[in-house]
Amino acid sequence: MIAAVITTFLTASVEWVEAYTIILAVALSIGWRRALGAAATALVVLALLTGIGSFALTRIGDFAILQLIIGVFLTLFGVRWLGKAVARGAGLKKLHDEDVAFASLRASKAINEARAAWFIAFNGMLLEGLEVWLIVVALGVQTHHTLAAAGAAILALIVVAAAGALARKPLSHVPENTIKFVVGAGILSFGTFWVLESLGYHWPLGDVTLLALFGFYGLGGLLLVRLYTPKTAKAGVI
Amino acid sequence: MQGFIKTLFGDTSTLAVTAGAIFAAVLVLHSPVPALAGAVLPLGLLAGAAYLARR
Repeated sequence: MIAAVITTFLTASVEWVEAYTIILAVALSIGWRRALGAAATALVVLALLTGIGSFALTRIGDFAILQLIIGVFLTLFGVRWLGKAVARGAGLKKLHDEDVAFASLRASKAINEARAAWFIAFNGMLLEGLEVWLIVVALGVQTHHTLAAAGAAILALIVVAAAGALARKPLSHVPENTIKFVVGAGILSFGTFWVLESLGYHWPLGDVTLLALFGFYGLGGLLLVRLYTPKTAKAGVI
Repeated sequence: MQGFIKTLFGDTSTLAVTAGAIFAAVLVLHSPVPALAGAVLPLGLLAGAAYLARR
């Protein structure tokens, strides 16, 4: 359960930081009240989706099928995040820069139109929150701690909101790629473990295997970063 | 809706590498050496992440 809560908190932190940049950019155009209203509406949609998703998954009577579905979705998510973090760490892709994202949003024409700006804030919050939703539902249902997972996501939201209120500028100092790398390795470990277990495989070390898988993906990912980094550049996931 | 589907499934490359790794693990699981499935899936997925990073 602790691993699931930490993973959810870290995933949510990264996504809320990106959402905060969008809300901040919109708030400077249409005011904090309307921008926060759009964000709150998106959060209500996400809360409804969490309820529907959890309900639908818990209706599945066969535990192995439930485990396989959740395992596959987590694997898809984890392999994507780990691949992206490796690419950014090795310099194959640009690091996500909140200052650049903020400046690009502020330069767009749509942000100066009240209704369009409201939808930018709503869509931004919803799209960033969908990844949080996936992790809360998947890890929550599988570990029977949906409320704890949802609590971790809300705690991350509070922490990011507080940091944003203090900083009043994009939170560009958050090491997003490092967090994505760790979360990608963690989620991929959960996904791998549950996919194979649902197919009838018996992990020799039981739950301890999760730690071994995390170590494997973490070290393997670091090795890939080193391998992919051009000899003239410096590897930098961390 | 597009964002929702992308969040759940990723793009076609992500789907392909994940499906490939799971398929290989299932084949090994039903072979004379099923214990190796525990190594095949992580290795396949790490190779998949490596491919996605290079793409």
